[in-house]
Amino acid sequence: MIRFNKCEIGYKSVLIRIPELNLSAGTIYALIGANGSGKSTLLNTIINKKSLLGGELFIDSKNHTTFSAKDLAQKIAYVESKFDGVEYLTVEEYISLGRTPYTDAFGRLGEKDNQAILKAMEILNLHSFKEKFTLNLSDGERQLVAIARALAQTTPIIILDEPTAFLDYGNRIKLIQLLSKIALEEQKCIVFSSHDIDLCLNSSIQMLIVNQQNKTMELCPSAISKKEVLANGFGIKC
Amino acid sequence: MITKKRNLFLYFVLFLILILSIVGHLFSGQIAISFSDYWDSIFHFDPENTNQLIAREFRIPRLTMAIIAGAGLSISGMLMQTLFNNPLAGPYVLGINSGSSLFVAFTMMTGLSFFQSDFGIITSALIGALVFGFIILGFSLFVKSHISLLLIGLMLGSFTGALISVLQTFSSAQELKSFTIWTMGSLQHVQLNQLPIISIIFILGIGLSLFLIKPLNVLVLGEKSSEILGIHIKTIRIATISITAIFAGIITAFCGPIAFVGLAVPNIVRTVFKTQSHGKLIIGNLLIGATFLVISDAVIQYLEQWIQLPINAFTSIIGAPLLILIVLKRLK
Repeated sequence: MIRFNKCEIGYKSVLIRIPELNLSAGTIYALIGANGSGKSTLLNTIINKKSLLGGELFIDSKNHTTFSAKDLAQKIAYVESKFDGVEYLTVEEYISLGRTPYTDAFGRLGEKDNQAILKAMEILNLHSFKEKFTLNLSDGERQLVAIARALAQTTPIIILDEPTAFLDYGNRIKLIQLLSKIALEEQKCIVFSSHDIDLCLNSSIQMLIVNQQNKTMELCPSAISKKEVLANGFGIKC
Repeated sequence: MITKKRNLFLYFVLFLILILSIVGHLFSGQIAISFSDYWDSIFHFDPENTNQLIAREFRIPRLTMAIIAGAGLSISGMLMQTLFNNPLAGPYVLGINSGSSLFVAFTMMTGLSFFQSDFGIITSALIGALVFGFIILGFSLFVKSHISLLLIGLMLGSFTGALISVLQTFSSAQELKSFTIWTMGSLQHVQLNQLPIISIIFILGIGLSLFLIKPLNVLVLGEKSSEILGIHIKTIRIATISITAIFAGIITAFCGPIAFVGLAVPNIVRTVFKTQSHGKLIIGNLLIGATFLVISDAVIQYLEQWIQLPINAFTSIIGAPLLILIVLKRLK
Protein backbone atom coordinates (compact mmCIF):
# COMPACT_ATOMS: atom_id res chain seq x y z
CA MET A 1 0.00 0.00 0.00
CA ILE A 2 2.70 2.42 1.10
CA ARG A 3 6.27 1.57 0.05
CA PHE A 4 9.35 3.46 1.16
CA ASN A 5 12.53 3.14 -0.85
CA LYS A 6 15.72 4.66 0.61
CA CYS A 7 13.67 7.52 2.02
CA GLU A 8 15.26 10.41 3.87
CA ILE A 9 12.81 12.48 5.86
CA GLY A 10 13.34 15.75 7.67
CA TYR A 11 13.41 19.51 7.27
CA LYS A 12 16.92 20.78 6.69
CA SER A 13 18.74 17.81 8.14
CA VAL A 14 17.64 14.20 7.89
CA LEU A 15 15.57 13.10 10.88
CA ILE A 16 14.49 9.64 9.76
CA ARG A 17 15.96 7.17 7.27
CA ILE A 18 13.81 4.37 5.94
CA PRO A 19 15.92 2.01 3.80
CA GLU A 20 13.10 -0.29 2.74
CA LEU A 21 9.62 -0.68 4.14
CA ASN A 22 6.24 -1.91 2.99
CA LEU A 23 3.02 -1.06 4.80
CA SER A 24 0.10 -3.24 3.79
CA ALA A 25 -3.69 -3.04 3.73
CA GLY A 26 -5.71 -4.49 6.58
CA THR A 27 -3.03 -3.56 9.11
CA ILE A 28 -2.68 -0.86 11.72
CA TYR A 29 0.74 0.58 12.52
CA ALA A 30 1.70 2.66 15.55
CA LEU A 31 4.48 5.13 14.91
CA ILE A 32 6.56 5.36 18.08
CA GLY A 33 9.41 7.75 18.75
CA ALA A 34 10.71 10.43 21.10
CA ASN A 35 9.62 14.05 20.88
CA GLY A 36 11.37 15.74 17.98
CA SER A 37 12.28 12.41 16.38
CA GLY A 38 10.37 13.41 13.25
CA LYS A 39 7.10 11.50 13.60
CA SER A 40 4.93 14.40 12.43
CA THR A 41 7.40 15.19 9.67
CA LEU A 42 7.12 11.62 8.45
CA LEU A 43 3.31 11.78 8.46
CA ASN A 44 3.40 15.14 6.67
CA THR A 45 5.70 13.59 4.10
CA ILE A 46 3.28 10.76 3.43
CA ILE A 47 0.40 13.20 2.85
CA ASN A 48 2.71 15.21 0.57
CA LYS A 49 2.65 18.38 2.68
CA LYS A 50 6.43 18.04 2.95
CA SER A 51 8.79 16.73 0.30
CA LEU A 52 11.29 13.92 0.73
CA LEU A 53 14.95 14.85 1.17
CA GLY A 54 15.88 11.71 -0.73
CA GLY A 55 14.54 8.41 -1.99
CA GLU A 56 11.09 7.52 -3.25
CA LEU A 57 7.72 6.88 -1.72
CA PHE A 58 5.05 4.86 -3.50
CA ILE A 59 1.33 4.82 -2.86
CA ASP A 60 -0.33 1.86 -4.58
CA SER A 61 2.95 1.37 -6.50
CA LYS A 62 2.74 4.89 -7.92
CA ASN A 63 5.28 7.56 -6.94
CA HIS A 64 3.43 9.82 -4.53
CA THR A 65 4.73 13.09 -5.96
CA THR A 66 2.93 12.31 -9.24
CA PHE A 67 -0.51 12.47 -7.58
CA SER A 68 -2.65 15.57 -7.98
CA ALA A 69 -4.04 16.99 -4.72
CA LYS A 70 -7.45 15.55 -5.54
CA ASP A 71 -6.14 12.11 -6.48
CA LEU A 72 -4.05 11.92 -3.33
CA ALA A 73 -7.12 12.90 -1.30
CA GLN A 74 -8.84 9.84 -2.76
CA LYS A 75 -5.96 7.66 -1.52
CA ILE A 76 -5.08 9.11 1.87
CA ALA A 77 -7.27 10.55 4.61
CA TYR A 78 -5.64 12.50 7.41
CA VAL A 79 -6.88 13.11 10.95
CA GLU A 80 -5.27 15.87 12.99
CA SER A 81 -4.56 15.30 16.67
CA LYS A 82 -7.35 17.66 17.59
CA PHE A 83 -10.46 18.84 15.80
CA ASP A 84 -11.78 21.83 17.69
CA GLY A 85 -15.20 21.89 16.12
CA VAL A 86 -16.67 24.68 14.04
CA GLU A 87 -19.54 26.95 15.01
CA TYR A 88 -22.86 25.87 13.42
CA LEU A 89 -21.24 22.97 11.58
CA THR A 90 -23.25 19.81 12.26
CA VAL A 91 -21.69 16.38 12.65
CA GLU A 92 -23.35 15.20 9.45
CA GLU A 93 -22.17 18.25 7.47
CA TYR A 94 -18.66 17.77 8.84
CA ILE A 95 -18.55 14.09 7.90
CA SER A 96 -19.87 14.88 4.43
CA LEU A 97 -16.85 17.17 3.87
CA GLY A 98 -14.91 13.91 3.62
CA ARG A 99 -16.54 13.53 0.21
CA THR A 100 -14.83 16.70 -1.09
CA PRO A 101 -12.40 14.85 -3.40
CA TYR A 102 -15.35 13.17 -5.15
CA THR A 103 -18.04 15.85 -5.46
CA ASP A 104 -18.62 18.20 -8.41
CA ALA A 105 -17.62 21.87 -8.60
CA PHE A 106 -20.53 22.87 -6.35
CA GLY A 107 -19.92 20.14 -3.79
CA ARG A 108 -23.27 18.42 -4.38
CA LEU A 109 -23.58 14.97 -2.82
CA GLY A 110 -24.64 12.05 -5.01
CA GLU A 111 -26.03 8.63 -4.16
CA LYS A 112 -22.56 7.14 -3.67
CA ASP A 113 -21.54 10.02 -1.41
CA ASN A 114 -24.58 9.64 0.81
CA GLN A 115 -23.93 5.92 1.14
CA ALA A 116 -20.32 6.52 2.19
CA ILE A 117 -21.45 9.09 4.78
CA LEU A 118 -24.12 6.75 6.15
CA LYS A 119 -21.66 3.89 6.37
CA ALA A 120 -19.08 5.99 8.19
CA MET A 121 -21.70 7.08 10.72
CA GLU A 122 -22.82 3.48 11.12
CA ILE A 123 -19.31 2.16 11.79
CA LEU A 124 -18.75 4.73 14.51
CA ASN A 125 -22.33 4.64 15.75
CA LEU A 126 -22.89 8.36 15.29
CA HIS A 127 -26.48 8.41 14.05
CA SER A 128 -27.91 9.67 17.30
CA PHE A 129 -25.96 12.92 17.18
CA LYS A 130 -25.63 13.69 13.50
CA GLU A 131 -27.67 16.88 13.91
CA LYS A 132 -25.50 18.14 16.78
CA PHE A 133 -23.09 21.01 16.26
CA THR A 134 -19.44 19.92 16.24
CA LEU A 135 -18.56 22.75 18.64
CA ASN A 136 -20.78 21.26 21.33
CA LEU A 137 -19.19 17.80 21.42
CA SER A 138 -16.72 16.44 23.98
CA ASP A 139 -13.09 15.89 22.94
CA GLY A 140 -13.69 12.14 22.68
CA GLU A 141 -16.81 12.56 20.54
CA ARG A 142 -15.03 15.03 18.27
CA GLN A 143 -12.20 12.57 17.71
CA LEU A 144 -14.73 9.90 16.67
CA VAL A 145 -16.43 12.36 14.35
CA ALA A 146 -13.06 13.22 12.80
CA ILE A 147 -12.40 9.55 12.17
CA ALA A 148 -15.86 9.19 10.63
CA ARG A 149 -14.97 12.07 8.31
CA ALA A 150 -11.82 10.20 7.29
CA LEU A 151 -13.84 7.01 6.73
CA ALA A 152 -16.34 8.86 4.56
CA GLN A 153 -13.38 9.79 2.39
CA THR A 154 -13.24 6.05 1.49
CA THR A 155 -9.46 6.02 1.12
CA PRO A 156 -7.35 2.86 1.37
CA ILE A 157 -4.97 4.71 3.73
CA ILE A 158 -5.73 6.67 6.90
CA ILE A 159 -3.04 8.69 8.68
CA LEU A 160 -3.64 9.97 12.21
CA ASP A 161 -1.35 12.38 14.05
CA GLU A 162 -1.40 11.49 17.76
CA PRO A 163 -5.13 10.73 17.80
CA THR A 164 -5.07 9.83 21.50
CA ALA A 165 -3.19 12.90 22.73
CA PHE A 166 -6.21 14.74 24.07
CA LEU A 167 -8.23 11.75 25.28
CA ASP A 168 -8.65 10.24 28.73
CA TYR A 169 -7.33 6.75 29.39
CA GLY A 170 -10.62 4.96 28.74
CA ASN A 171 -11.15 6.75 25.45
CA ARG A 172 -7.56 5.97 24.42
CA ILE A 173 -8.15 2.24 24.79
CA LYS A 174 -11.49 2.48 22.96
CA LEU A 175 -10.00 4.51 20.12
CA ILE A 176 -7.07 2.15 19.55
CA GLN A 177 -9.37 -0.88 19.57
CA LEU A 178 -11.72 0.87 17.19
CA LEU A 179 -8.92 1.74 14.78
CA SER A 180 -7.63 -1.86 14.85
CA LYS A 181 -11.12 -3.11 14.07
CA ILE A 182 -11.54 -0.67 11.19
CA ALA A 183 -8.15 -1.63 9.70
CA LEU A 184 -9.11 -5.28 9.73
CA GLU A 185 -12.76 -5.11 8.72
CA GLU A 186 -12.45 -2.36 6.11
CA GLN A 187 -9.06 -3.62 4.89
CA LYS A 188 -7.43 -0.23 5.35
CA CYS A 189 -3.82 0.66 5.99
CA ILE A 190 -3.85 2.82 9.14
CA VAL A 191 -0.79 4.64 10.48
CA PHE A 192 -0.98 6.64 13.68
CA SER A 193 1.69 8.30 15.78
CA SER A 194 1.38 7.71 19.48
CA HIS A 195 3.08 7.68 22.86
CA ASP A 196 0.79 4.97 24.22
CA ILE A 197 3.36 2.17 24.10
CA ASP A 198 1.60 0.03 26.70
CA LEU A 199 -1.73 0.18 24.94
CA CYS A 200 -0.16 -0.73 21.61
CA LEU A 201 1.75 -3.63 23.15
CA ASN A 202 -1.42 -4.91 24.83
CA SER A 203 -3.42 -4.79 21.60
CA SER A 204 -0.42 -6.34 19.76
CA ILE A 205 -0.35 -3.52 17.24
CA GLN A 206 2.61 -3.48 14.87
CA MET A 207 5.05 -0.76 15.79
CA LEU A 208 7.20 1.45 13.62
CA ILE A 209 9.96 2.67 15.90
CA VAL A 210 12.22 5.59 15.11
CA ASN A 211 15.60 4.48 16.45
CA GLN A 212 17.25 7.21 18.52
CA GLN A 213 20.83 6.19 17.75
CA ASN A 214 20.95 5.64 14.02
CA LYS A 215 17.80 7.61 13.09
CA THR A 216 16.30 4.79 11.09
CA MET A 217 12.73 3.64 11.26
CA GLU A 218 12.02 -0.04 11.28
CA LEU A 219 9.04 -2.27 11.60
CA CYS A 220 9.36 -4.16 14.86
CA PRO A 221 8.51 -7.81 15.27
CA SER A 222 5.12 -8.15 16.95
CA ALA A 223 6.64 -10.05 19.89
CA ILE A 224 8.80 -7.09 20.91
CA SER A 225 9.09 -6.36 24.63
CA LYS A 226 8.57 -3.01 26.27
CA LYS A 227 12.22 -3.03 27.29
CA GLU A 228 13.34 -3.22 23.65
CA VAL A 229 10.92 -0.48 22.60
CA LEU A 230 12.28 1.84 25.26
CA ALA A 231 15.86 1.03 24.39
CA ASN A 232 15.44 1.51 20.63
CA GLY A 233 13.04 4.40 20.55
CA PHE A 234 14.03 6.44 23.56
CA GLY A 235 17.55 5.29 24.45
CA ILE A 236 16.42 4.23 27.90
CA LYS A 237 18.20 1.21 29.35
CA CYS A 238 16.27 -0.59 32.06
CA MET B 1 -35.02 17.51 7.37
CA ILE B 2 -36.46 19.79 10.02
CA THR B 3 -33.70 22.29 9.40
CA LYS B 4 -34.39 22.12 5.66
CA LYS B 5 -38.04 23.10 6.18
CA ARG B 6 -37.02 25.73 8.69
CA ASN B 7 -34.59 27.25 6.19
CA LEU B 8 -37.17 27.29 3.38
CA PHE B 9 -39.58 29.03 5.71
CA LEU B 10 -36.86 31.51 6.66
CA TYR B 11 -36.08 32.29 3.02
CA PHE B 12 -39.77 32.89 2.41
CA VAL B 13 -40.15 35.19 5.41
CA LEU B 14 -36.98 37.10 4.56
CA PHE B 15 -38.11 37.47 0.97
CA LEU B 16 -41.43 38.90 2.15
CA ILE B 17 -39.61 41.34 4.43
CA LEU B 18 -37.41 42.40 1.52
CA ILE B 19 -40.47 43.03 -0.68
CA LEU B 20 -42.12 45.00 2.11
CA SER B 21 -39.00 47.09 2.67
CA ILE B 22 -38.77 47.75 -1.08
CA VAL B 23 -42.35 48.98 -1.06
CA GLY B 24 -41.54 51.04 2.02
CA HIS B 25 -38.54 52.53 0.25
CA LEU B 26 -40.54 53.47 -2.84
CA PHE B 27 -43.12 55.36 -0.83
CA SER B 28 -40.91 56.94 1.84
CA GLY B 29 -39.69 59.98 -0.12
CA GLN B 30 -40.77 63.57 0.37
CA ILE B 31 -42.64 63.65 -2.89
CA ALA B 32 -45.42 61.11 -2.89
CA ILE B 33 -45.28 59.03 -6.03
CA SER B 34 -48.14 56.68 -6.71
CA PHE B 35 -47.82 53.10 -7.79
CA SER B 36 -49.22 53.93 -11.23
CA ASP B 37 -46.53 56.60 -11.65
CA TYR B 38 -43.87 53.97 -10.96
CA TRP B 39 -45.56 51.59 -13.37
CA ASP B 40 -45.81 54.19 -16.11
CA SER B 41 -42.29 55.45 -15.53
CA ILE B 42 -41.02 52.04 -16.55
CA PHE B 43 -43.50 50.96 -19.18
CA HIS B 44 -45.13 54.14 -20.59
CA PHE B 45 -42.58 56.77 -19.70
CA ASP B 46 -43.72 60.34 -20.20
CA PRO B 47 -40.78 62.75 -19.71
CA GLU B 48 -43.19 65.66 -19.20
CA ASN B 49 -44.60 64.09 -16.03
CA THR B 50 -42.48 65.24 -13.07
CA ASN B 51 -43.47 62.33 -10.82
CA GLN B 52 -42.55 59.80 -13.46
CA LEU B 53 -39.31 61.62 -14.05
CA ILE B 54 -38.40 61.51 -10.35
CA ALA B 55 -39.37 57.84 -10.19
CA ARG B 56 -37.30 56.95 -13.22
CA GLU B 57 -34.29 59.15 -12.65
CA PHE B 58 -33.96 59.07 -8.88
CA ARG B 59 -36.08 56.62 -6.95
CA ILE B 60 -35.62 53.46 -9.00
CA PRO B 61 -31.85 53.80 -9.43
CA ARG B 62 -31.47 54.58 -5.73
CA LEU B 63 -33.55 51.57 -4.70
CA THR B 64 -31.70 49.26 -7.09
CA MET B 65 -28.40 50.51 -5.77
CA ALA B 66 -29.51 49.89 -2.17
CA ILE B 67 -30.37 46.29 -3.04
CA ILE B 68 -27.12 45.68 -4.92
CA ALA B 69 -24.89 47.43 -2.40
CA GLY B 70 -26.49 45.72 0.60
CA ALA B 71 -26.34 42.26 -0.95
CA GLY B 72 -22.90 42.72 -2.51
CA LEU B 73 -21.20 44.09 0.59
CA SER B 74 -22.74 41.36 2.74
CA ILE B 75 -21.59 38.59 0.42
CA SER B 76 -18.09 40.02 0.20
CA GLY B 77 -18.02 40.26 4.01
CA MET B 78 -19.00 36.60 4.22
CA LEU B 79 -16.23 35.67 1.77
CA MET B 80 -13.64 37.57 3.83
CA GLN B 81 -14.84 36.08 7.12
CA THR B 82 -14.49 32.52 5.87
CA LEU B 83 -11.23 33.14 4.03
CA PHE B 84 -9.55 34.69 7.06
CA ASN B 85 -11.45 32.44 9.45
CA ASN B 86 -12.37 35.57 11.35
CA PRO B 87 -15.91 36.74 12.19
CA LEU B 88 -14.73 40.34 12.43
CA ALA B 89 -13.37 40.51 8.90
CA GLY B 90 -15.08 42.49 6.17
CA PRO B 91 -14.16 44.60 3.17
CA TYR B 92 -14.34 47.78 5.23
CA VAL B 93 -12.36 46.73 8.31
CA LEU B 94 -9.70 45.03 6.24
CA GLY B 95 -9.09 48.19 4.25
CA ILE B 96 -10.37 46.97 0.88
CA ASN B 97 -12.82 49.87 0.68
CA SER B 98 -9.98 52.20 1.63
CA GLY B 99 -8.08 50.93 -1.39
CA SER B 100 -10.99 51.87 -3.61
CA SER B 101 -11.30 55.26 -1.93
CA LEU B 102 -7.63 56.02 -2.42
CA PHE B 103 -7.67 55.14 -6.09
CA VAL B 104 -10.93 56.99 -6.68
CA ALA B 105 -9.57 60.02 -4.84
CA PHE B 106 -6.53 59.89 -7.00
CA THR B 107 -8.54 59.79 -10.21
CA MET B 108 -11.08 62.38 -9.13
CA MET B 109 -8.44 64.86 -8.09
CA THR B 110 -5.89 64.43 -10.83
CA GLY B 111 -8.19 66.04 -13.33
CA LEU B 112 -7.31 63.63 -16.11
CA SER B 113 -10.32 63.50 -18.39
CA PHE B 114 -10.16 59.74 -19.04
CA PHE B 115 -10.62 59.04 -15.35
CA GLN B 116 -13.62 61.32 -15.00
CA SER B 117 -15.77 58.88 -16.94
CA ASP B 118 -17.81 56.09 -15.29
CA PHE B 119 -15.43 53.61 -16.76
CA GLY B 120 -12.46 55.41 -15.25
CA ILE B 121 -13.99 55.52 -11.77
CA ILE B 122 -15.11 51.89 -11.87
CA THR B 123 -11.71 50.75 -13.07
CA SER B 124 -9.82 52.70 -10.46
CA ALA B 125 -12.14 51.53 -7.65
CA LEU B 126 -11.72 47.92 -8.79
CA ILE B 127 -7.94 48.24 -9.05
CA GLY B 128 -7.78 49.90 -5.64
CA ALA B 129 -9.87 47.15 -4.04
CA LEU B 130 -7.76 44.45 -5.70
CA VAL B 131 -4.44 46.00 -4.73
CA PHE B 132 -5.48 46.43 -1.10
CA GLY B 133 -7.11 43.00 -1.08
CA PHE B 134 -3.82 41.43 -2.06
CA ILE B 135 -1.89 43.58 0.43
CA ILE B 136 -4.06 42.29 3.27
CA LEU B 137 -3.82 38.76 1.84
CA GLY B 138 -0.03 39.09 1.86
CA PHE B 139 -0.11 40.15 5.50
CA SER B 140 -2.44 37.28 6.39
CA LEU B 141 0.19 34.79 5.22
CA PHE B 142 2.55 35.98 7.96
CA VAL B 143 0.17 37.30 10.59
CA LYS B 144 -1.84 34.45 12.07
CA SER B 145 -3.48 36.39 14.90
CA HIS B 146 -7.01 37.56 14.06
CA ILE B 147 -6.74 40.78 15.99
CA SER B 148 -3.37 41.72 14.48
CA LEU B 149 -4.78 41.29 11.00
CA LEU B 150 -7.72 43.57 11.82
CA LEU B 151 -5.31 46.13 13.25
CA ILE B 152 -3.30 46.03 10.04
CA GLY B 153 -6.53 46.55 8.10
CA LEU B 154 -7.44 49.53 10.25
CA MET B 155 -3.93 50.96 9.87
CA LEU B 156 -4.21 50.59 6.09
CA GLY B 157 -7.41 52.60 6.40
CA SER B 158 -5.73 55.36 8.41
CA PHE B 159 -2.77 55.36 6.07
CA THR B 160 -4.93 55.81 2.99
CA GLY B 161 -6.91 58.45 4.89
CA ALA B 162 -3.67 60.39 5.38
CA LEU B 163 -2.65 59.95 1.76
CA ILE B 164 -6.05 61.22 0.67
CA SER B 165 -5.63 64.30 2.88
CA VAL B 166 -2.31 65.00 1.19
CA LEU B 167 -3.99 64.61 -2.20
CA GLN B 168 -6.71 67.02 -1.14
CA THR B 169 -4.23 69.81 -0.53
CA PHE B 170 -3.32 69.67 -4.20
CA SER B 171 -6.83 69.63 -5.56
CA SER B 172 -9.14 72.40 -6.63
CA ALA B 173 -12.16 73.47 -4.59
CA GLN B 174 -14.55 71.80 -7.01
CA GLU B 175 -12.69 68.48 -6.97
CA LEU B 176 -12.46 68.61 -3.21
CA LYS B 177 -16.18 69.18 -2.89
CA SER B 178 -17.17 66.33 -5.17
CA PHE B 179 -14.78 63.97 -3.41
CA THR B 180 -15.98 64.93 0.06
CA ILE B 181 -19.57 64.29 -0.96
CA TRP B 182 -18.48 60.97 -2.39
CA THR B 183 -16.82 59.87 0.89
CA MET B 184 -20.04 60.42 2.82
CA GLY B 185 -21.49 57.55 0.92
CA SER B 186 -24.70 57.92 -0.95
CA LEU B 187 -27.02 55.72 -2.94
CA GLN B 188 -28.54 58.61 -4.88
CA HIS B 189 -25.68 59.49 -7.20
CA VAL B 190 -26.33 56.51 -9.41
CA GLN B 191 -27.97 57.31 -12.73
CA LEU B 192 -30.36 55.16 -14.64
CA ASN B 193 -27.94 54.58 -17.50
CA GLN B 194 -25.30 53.29 -15.07
CA LEU B 195 -27.57 50.59 -13.66
CA PRO B 196 -27.02 48.01 -16.43
CA ILE B 197 -23.24 47.91 -15.98
CA ILE B 198 -23.54 47.78 -12.18
CA SER B 199 -26.16 45.04 -12.38
CA ILE B 200 -24.10 42.99 -14.81
CA ILE B 201 -21.00 43.18 -12.61
CA PHE B 202 -23.10 42.36 -9.55
CA ILE B 203 -24.68 39.30 -11.17
CA LEU B 204 -21.26 38.25 -12.43
CA GLY B 205 -19.94 38.48 -8.85
CA ILE B 206 -22.81 36.34 -7.52
CA GLY B 207 -22.28 33.82 -10.31
CA LEU B 208 -18.57 33.57 -9.59
CA SER B 209 -19.11 33.23 -5.86
CA LEU B 210 -21.25 30.13 -6.49
CA PHE B 211 -18.04 28.40 -7.54
CA LEU B 212 -16.56 29.20 -4.14
CA ILE B 213 -19.30 27.40 -2.21
CA LYS B 214 -17.53 24.06 -2.15
CA PRO B 215 -14.02 25.28 -1.23
CA LEU B 216 -15.39 27.70 1.39
CA ASN B 217 -17.42 24.92 2.99
CA VAL B 218 -14.19 22.96 3.38
CA LEU B 219 -12.14 26.01 4.37
CA VAL B 220 -13.97 26.32 7.70
CA LEU B 221 -11.88 23.31 8.76
CA GLY B 222 -8.69 25.32 8.35
CA GLU B 223 -6.18 25.54 5.56
CA LYS B 224 -4.22 22.37 6.24
CA SER B 225 -7.27 20.13 6.38
CA SER B 226 -8.65 21.75 3.23
CA GLU B 227 -5.46 21.14 1.32
CA ILE B 228 -5.41 17.50 2.36
CA LEU B 229 -8.99 17.22 1.09
CA GLY B 230 -7.71 18.31 -2.31
CA ILE B 231 -8.54 22.06 -2.25
CA HIS B 232 -6.05 24.40 -3.93
CA ILE B 233 -5.73 27.03 -1.23
CA LYS B 234 -3.73 29.51 -3.30
CA THR B 235 -6.28 29.54 -6.12
CA ILE B 236 -9.13 29.91 -3.65
CA ARG B 237 -7.42 32.81 -1.87
CA ILE B 238 -6.87 34.69 -5.11
CA ALA B 239 -10.40 33.95 -6.36
CA THR B 240 -12.01 35.01 -3.09
CA ILE B 241 -10.07 38.27 -2.85
CA SER B 242 -10.82 39.03 -6.51
CA ILE B 243 -14.56 38.48 -6.11
CA THR B 244 -14.60 40.58 -2.95
CA ALA B 245 -12.74 43.29 -4.80
CA ILE B 246 -15.28 43.18 -7.63
CA PHE B 247 -18.18 43.69 -5.20
CA ALA B 248 -16.45 46.20 -2.94
CA GLY B 249 -14.91 48.06 -5.89
CA ILE B 250 -18.09 48.54 -7.91
CA ILE B 251 -20.15 49.49 -4.86
CA THR B 252 -17.53 51.87 -3.50
CA ALA B 253 -17.16 53.47 -6.92
CA PHE B 254 -20.82 54.46 -7.08
CA CYS B 255 -21.86 54.83 -3.46
CA GLY B 256 -18.65 55.78 -1.69
CA PRO B 257 -17.47 53.83 1.32
CA ILE B 258 -20.32 52.16 3.22
CA ALA B 259 -19.18 50.90 6.59
CA PHE B 260 -20.14 47.86 8.67
CA VAL B 261 -22.71 46.27 6.35
CA GLY B 262 -20.15 43.74 5.18
CA LEU B 263 -19.19 42.97 8.73
CA ALA B 264 -22.51 42.93 10.54
CA VAL B 265 -24.82 41.22 8.05
CA PRO B 266 -22.84 37.96 7.58
CA ASN B 267 -22.75 37.54 11.36
CA ILE B 268 -26.50 38.09 11.58
CA VAL B 269 -27.04 35.60 8.74
CA ARG B 270 -24.93 32.93 10.42
CA THR B 271 -26.78 33.36 13.70
CA VAL B 272 -30.17 33.22 11.99
CA PHE B 273 -29.50 30.23 9.72
CA LYS B 274 -27.14 28.41 12.08
CA THR B 275 -25.19 26.85 9.26
CA GLN B 276 -21.75 26.82 7.66
CA SER B 277 -23.12 25.81 4.29
CA HIS B 278 -22.08 28.67 2.05
CA GLY B 279 -24.82 28.08 -0.50
CA LYS B 280 -27.40 28.89 2.16
CA LEU B 281 -25.23 31.69 3.55
CA ILE B 282 -25.03 33.36 0.13
CA ILE B 283 -28.83 33.38 -0.22
CA GLY B 284 -29.13 34.58 3.38
CA ASN B 285 -26.66 37.40 2.83
CA LEU B 286 -28.37 38.39 -0.38
CA LEU B 287 -31.76 38.68 1.32
CA ILE B 288 -30.74 40.14 4.67
CA GLY B 289 -28.03 42.38 3.18
CA ALA B 290 -30.41 43.89 0.63
CA THR B 291 -33.14 44.31 3.23
CA PHE B 292 -30.74 45.95 5.70
CA LEU B 293 -29.61 48.61 3.27
CA VAL B 294 -33.05 49.17 1.72
CA ILE B 295 -34.56 49.78 5.16
CA SER B 296 -31.60 51.99 6.19
CA ASP B 297 -31.97 54.05 3.04
CA ALA B 298 -35.76 54.23 3.38
CA VAL B 299 -35.27 55.71 6.85
CA ILE B 300 -32.74 58.20 5.49
CA GLN B 301 -35.12 59.07 2.66
CA TYR B 302 -37.94 59.59 5.13
CA LEU B 303 -35.77 61.79 7.37
CA GLU B 304 -34.67 63.92 4.42
CA GLN B 305 -37.44 66.43 5.05
CA TRP B 306 -35.62 67.38 8.27
CA ILE B 307 -32.05 66.20 7.94
CA GLN B 308 -29.64 64.98 5.25
CA LEU B 309 -28.06 61.88 6.73
CA PRO B 310 -25.26 60.22 4.77
CA ILE B 311 -25.72 56.46 4.43
CA ASN B 312 -22.22 55.81 5.75
CA ALA B 313 -23.03 57.63 8.99
CA PHE B 314 -26.27 55.72 9.37
CA THR B 315 -24.75 52.25 8.84
CA SER B 316 -21.94 53.13 11.27
CA ILE B 317 -24.42 54.25 13.93
CA ILE B 318 -26.09 50.83 13.71
CA GLY B 319 -23.02 48.80 12.81
CA ALA B 320 -20.47 49.93 15.39
CA PRO B 321 -22.53 48.96 18.46
CA LEU B 322 -23.39 45.69 16.72
CA LEU B 323 -19.69 45.01 16.24
CA ILE B 324 -19.07 45.59 19.95
CA LEU B 325 -21.92 43.20 20.73
CA ILE B 326 -20.40 40.50 18.53
CA VAL B 327 -16.99 40.94 20.19
CA LEU B 328 -18.55 40.73 23.65
CA LYS B 329 -20.49 37.61 22.68
CA ARG B 330 -17.30 35.96 21.40
CA LEU B 331 -15.39 36.77 24.59
CA LYS B 332 -17.86 34.87 26.73
